[in-house]
Amino acid sequence: MDKPDPTRHTKTRTKKESLSREEHQKQLEFQREAIVHLNALYNYALHLTMNPSDAEDLVQETYLKAYRFFNSFERGTNCKAWLFKILKNNYINRFRKNSKEPGKVDYDLIKDFYHSIKDTRSDTSETESDYFHSLLHEEVYQALHSLPEEFREVIQLCDIEGFTYEEIANMVESPIGTVRSRLYRGRKLLRAQLEGYAKKYGFNTNNSQ
Amino acid sequence: MNCKKAGVLISASVDGELSLNEEQEFLLHLSECEECRLEFEDAKKTKMIIKEKIIQFKAPQALIMSIMQLTSLGTKEHEDTLLYE
Repeated sequence: MDKPDPTRHTKTRTKKESLSREEHQKQLEFQREAIVHLNALYNYALHLTMNPSDAEDLVQETYLKAYRFFNSFERGTNCKAWLFKILKNNYINRFRKNSKEPGKVDYDLIKDFYHSIKDTRSDTSETESDYFHSLLHEEVYQALHSLPEEFREVIQLCDIEGFTYEEIANMVESPIGTVRSRLYRGRKLLRAQLEGYAKKYGFNTNNSQ
Repeated sequence: MNCKKAGVLISASVDGELSLNEEQEFLLHLSECEECRLEFEDAKKTKMIIKEKIIQFKAPQALIMSIMQLTSLGTKEHEDTLLYE
């Protein structure tokens, strides 16, 4: 804690200085637990909204809410999962209300979106002849987005974000068994999509090759 | 365990989410069934593909800054972690 500075006693205290010790502790803990997940949340928001500026709003809102209700975060549980759930709820409240066809895929939009914020990250696995490795980022992204939302969501949370089935079940408010079967079915669909791309390149996708 | 039953378990097994019993039975079946073994390998690959091919973007710096300001402390350390991770 800061020691009182005798030369400053006549000045007006800034907001920061007048924070209580508890508030200060809360801030520190929040930074340690919550802020470290900012990149993951931003990516999740991008996937949901497919629009960088909406994604920023969504993340901003999520952190505001999370900070306000940080006391209700159960210490020792996965803070990332907690934040994801808040973001998802915000998303539903804000964006889904006016969307009539949430399951509809706009491939042009995906393509535009992907090109508009494409990373410079180079692909190191191009040399492999395996058909999986021939797939482009954009194609995998498109295949994922062609899935019905309930499947896409669990695959994303499991494979990209690394949440456990229990955490996912809590996030999507369904039993673990449902998460398990959605992943099973979703992956089947996804594989079929990816194999479709692979065939386009003339790869033999049979097991027996 | 037959192939049909094993097929349903492949997905959860890739995630390490089978119960101990299921896992044992599943592995036993894999040791006897080439087809399911290949299927299992493919499932692992598919998971990896999703992980590797979906680009993870960095949050814009302006967003990081404004969220740091929400909690007003703005410690240098955390900003560095996020920006240069």
